[in-house]
Amino acid sequence: MSIFSKLMWFFKANKRLYILGLSFLLLTEISQMVSPALIGRFTDILVAREVTSQNLLIYGGGILLFSILMYGFRYAWITHIFQGSALLERTLRQQLFDHYMQMDTTFYQRRRTGDLMAHATNDLSAIQRVASGGVLMLVDSIVIIIFTVISMAFVVDWRLTLIGVLPLPLLAWGVRYLSPKIRRAFTASQEAFSRLSNKSQESIAGIKAIKTLGQEQQDVASFTSEVQNTIAINKKVARIDSMFGPMATLVMTISYVVMVTYGGSLVTNQTITIGQLVSFSTYLGLLVWPMFGLGQLFNVLERGNASYMRVQEILAEKSAIIEDESGRETLAHGDVTINIDEFKYPDDETTTALSDVHLTVKAGETLGLVGRVGAGKTTLIKLLLRQFDDYQGNITVGGFDIKQYKLKAYLKAIGYVAQENFLFSTTVLDNIRFADLTKTREEVEAAAKKAAFHDDVLGFPAGYETEVGEHGVSLSGGQKQRLAIARALIVDPEILILDDALSAVDARTEKQILGALKAERQDKTTIIAAHRISSVMNADEIIVFDDGQIKERGTHAELLALNGWYAHMYAQQQLATQLDEQLSAKEENNA
Amino acid sequence: MPEKNESVWAKSIPVKEQLHVIWTLIKMAKPFRAMFIWALSIGAAFALLQAAAPRVISYYMTNYLHQTTSVPLQITISFAVLVAVIRILQAITDALNAYYFSVAGEYALEDIRVRVFKKLHTLGMRFFDQVPAGSLVTRVNNDTASLADFWRFFMELTFAVMSMIGAYIGMWTVDVKATLLMLVVVPFIVASIIAYQRFSSSLFRHMRERLSALNAKIAESITGIDVIQEFYQEDRFKKEFSRINGEYFNARFKMVKADALLLEPMIDMLLGGATVLILWYFGELSMHTVVAAGVIYAFTTYLNNIFGPLENIMSLFSPFQEGLVSGYRILGILADETYSPAQNTNAQGDITDGKIEFKHVNFSYDGQHQILKDLTFTANPGETIALVGHTGSGKSSTINTLMRFYEFQSGEILIDGQDIRDVSMKNLRQKMGLVLQEPFMFFGDVASNIRMYDDSISDARVREAAEFVGANTFIEKLDNQYRAKVQEGGSGFSAGEKQLISFARTIVQDPKILILDEATANVDTETETLIQKSLKKMRENRTTIAIAHRLSTIKDANLILVLDEGRVVERGTHESLLAQRGRYYDLYRLQGANDAIVE
Repeated sequence: MSIFSKLMWFFKANKRLYILGLSFLLLTEISQMVSPALIGRFTDILVAREVTSQNLLIYGGGILLFSILMYGFRYAWITHIFQGSALLERTLRQQLFDHYMQMDTTFYQRRRTGDLMAHATNDLSAIQRVASGGVLMLVDSIVIIIFTVISMAFVVDWRLTLIGVLPLPLLAWGVRYLSPKIRRAFTASQEAFSRLSNKSQESIAGIKAIKTLGQEQQDVASFTSEVQNTIAINKKVARIDSMFGPMATLVMTISYVVMVTYGGSLVTNQTITIGQLVSFSTYLGLLVWPMFGLGQLFNVLERGNASYMRVQEILAEKSAIIEDESGRETLAHGDVTINIDEFKYPDDETTTALSDVHLTVKAGETLGLVGRVGAGKTTLIKLLLRQFDDYQGNITVGGFDIKQYKLKAYLKAIGYVAQENFLFSTTVLDNIRFADLTKTREEVEAAAKKAAFHDDVLGFPAGYETEVGEHGVSLSGGQKQRLAIARALIVDPEILILDDALSAVDARTEKQILGALKAERQDKTTIIAAHRISSVMNADEIIVFDDGQIKERGTHAELLALNGWYAHMYAQQQLATQLDEQLSAKEENNA
Repeated sequence: MPEKNESVWAKSIPVKEQLHVIWTLIKMAKPFRAMFIWALSIGAAFALLQAAAPRVISYYMTNYLHQTTSVPLQITISFAVLVAVIRILQAITDALNAYYFSVAGEYALEDIRVRVFKKLHTLGMRFFDQVPAGSLVTRVNNDTASLADFWRFFMELTFAVMSMIGAYIGMWTVDVKATLLMLVVVPFIVASIIAYQRFSSSLFRHMRERLSALNAKIAESITGIDVIQEFYQEDRFKKEFSRINGEYFNARFKMVKADALLLEPMIDMLLGGATVLILWYFGELSMHTVVAAGVIYAFTTYLNNIFGPLENIMSLFSPFQEGLVSGYRILGILADETYSPAQNTNAQGDITDGKIEFKHVNFSYDGQHQILKDLTFTANPGETIALVGHTGSGKSSTINTLMRFYEFQSGEILIDGQDIRDVSMKNLRQKMGLVLQEPFMFFGDVASNIRMYDDSISDARVREAAEFVGANTFIEKLDNQYRAKVQEGGSGFSAGEKQLISFARTIVQDPKILILDEATANVDTETETLIQKSLKKMRENRTTIAIAHRLSTIKDANLILVLDEGRVVERGTHESLLAQRGRYYDLYRLQGANDAIVE
């Protein structure tokens, strides 16, 4: 029940909707009581052979009138109450979405996309059911039971009513007893379904590996055995599910036996008329649904409550990134200085991710970051992007701590391109001008040219209007990277960060892009993290990371002279790069 | 799972097509016919029993309760027992009918699910290269799952029809004329069903389409959150979402209104009308002859039996429609003919030595652009043939034809002198080991990823294979070692580790022929060295076809083919190619400079 009070803010905000809805519901129930009484009375008149065209008109017209009234009332309450529940779902969904939009990296690391989706779909529909089915079950069941029992007692006979209705709580109890069982069975069934899903997902993703090993049949056998398992579980669901209806039939049987025996005797000793007995049977029929409703009510409320708690828990999470409302509105042009004494990831307190990183990038210069996977390049970039604010030391841009800027102002001035870049299901045009949809076609093309992507776009079926993403043309890894670079360049960021963003681009194109960056960004800062030495070799300073620390630093020439890790890597990589270059050059000549 | 199916939901399937889908799905359920018939028979029994109880009570009322004298106790008890027995039987048949029908539906559904899965495994790589994996997963799982609603609809439909027939039979035994009069409600029922179906189907489709868009938007925004936040587009996305959220709300509210207009309230009003009609009839009748209370009781109860189940079937229309769309898509997959290239009938050939000959092989993916042109080369047993060339030069296509992933159009591929199509598929897969560029890890443990489904491979052999490729060092450092859990996609393992496990997977089969699609993945230099060492060892005594991106693996190849636009532009050994002073010579000059540093 506590879920109702938790949702009170919503009911209050939509008072009119619910007051009207519940009033119409009440009117429906009252009207519903009339027709059994009329049928019973009419039966008596009929048996007594006292029917005249006048009372025919009264009773027939009466039943008809109430049928039509009920139609209107029903329409009204359904549209009001269900509108309310849809509105609740919409409201909560928007809250969740807005919340998702402002959560930080830690949040997204802890929670998987599938779970976040589930909150926005399954949980919301469970909550929504509280506001529709839950309200209905509670109000409707109780009202119908009260009205029906009162009508029965007044229209028919209170003793018969008492004895006849006595078994009905058994039904509510039975539904309450079966509900958790069916829920458990259903959960098992859903788990079986997701096992099957995962299994087939894996088979399809790994189809080439399976084909290579010639294990198609074995894979089908493994799938089939999982299916057998699923069938067994679903049979259990069917077994429990098939008991609800029969249970109602059985419980009602007791009432019918009471009706035949005790009710019959009341008729013969003339306490009630035969018509009243007919009314009684119709009233009995009206009580079946409320018993089901009451039985399921707790289930719906429990689930709604659990879902609501989950959603609230998510909504209560705060982003660790604190926006300084009084922060600076524009990024000051100037040097980037990084003075980090120590940084640990919030979810791993034992490992020091960065320590003693002190460096300065002068405005307009280029910084190169290299090192093996996990050495600390990306971590440093994350701090620069303010994905984590909790470190010892400081980072300043143009003389101000980056935490002193408004997040919006700060991020706006930074262009960031990762190795894997997410593209949205829209046109190439809108993907490139993602940061600012008001940019013109010419500006988009200019950015694409700088990123050596323009020629590729011209080759697409619809040029810049070509849809990309999940349902559009599929781009190669290199094309995605270049699109992402164009996307970052279009806002002409004060600081450009390329995080291994040229890994899928061939050496010649890399050179072209780096050249364009140098020419276009003379007074702007660029930070390039890469595995390929060729991406950073022209940087003003190159930092070699190892274990979160600076291992080597200097210009390309200095580092080669040092003959350490950098020099070794360079030697190994040069071969592949030059080969690639050579091949593409040949290709060019042949063409 | 957010499924993107705007295209399917945006247009309706023609009626003829719908009937075809329904008919095909019913035909496919043939293996479970006996169970369906059994369920239906019990359902028929239930419908009759449901009609029997009111008849008995009505009889009791008519014959005993109108008297002013009390009914003999014995008779009261017999009637009470009779009613109880009928209703208990009714409960039992109800339970059995519901149970067997859902189980039969479940069997039919799972059968189709397995059929789809099996079908997928007969399809060629061409199919998988064209159809996104996500949509296939939806076909196998979600689409088949919505067939449950398809069957439930039939259950409720047959039940409604039987209830109706049972009720009419019951009425008939009470009063024939009144029963005939009650037939006038049938056109109304049919009309309201058709009206609802017409009205709701487009609304429902619209609602589903909006829901897909909404879920797609959430999924995309979550996946792309980094980019959204980095470019500070949160407000724009919130606004866009608010619009989509509102559109879904509107679509759903329209559906609610349609349901309120045509579903329960409408059926109840029709029931009211029918009740008035029957009372009117008996009222008129009573002016001329005696009408018993039991008759009124029977008719009003039967009317409830007729109208009650109606609401159920009507509320299942939308899910049924969903089932139909799913069925349509499933049948699409089952009818797909993009099969894997087939071997010749009676292909019994065996690979013994591992000699590979390509003779004038031509191949094209689309029938227009020739990818392999007159490709000819021979790999003698134990030799290594290296393929060098730019992306699109035909290296991967050579492997695709050799692995029988794609069918080549003309020319010959011979293995040990026999047409590749004459080698049994089983032998071909066993004796030709392909090492994929991106190794795929399966859910399970390390050992199961090495032996895969072949349980005849002992733990010892798994370990040997791992040792052979040098994977043992890192495996033995894992908790549980060979029993260490592998998650989907192998997260937790580095690219190099995955590569080594996949090497072991290939080696444990002891293939005669090795096909290497060299990885371009970013791995540490240390791991890279380990991988190269391991590859060298694997190639010993095996015929190897290697796609190489790094020249250092090519140098000792017996034959190097430089491919360009599907043609071999240079061929020879390392030395002979050098002597040609062509493209390879240029490459080598660069390599020479490097080797000095590396070694």
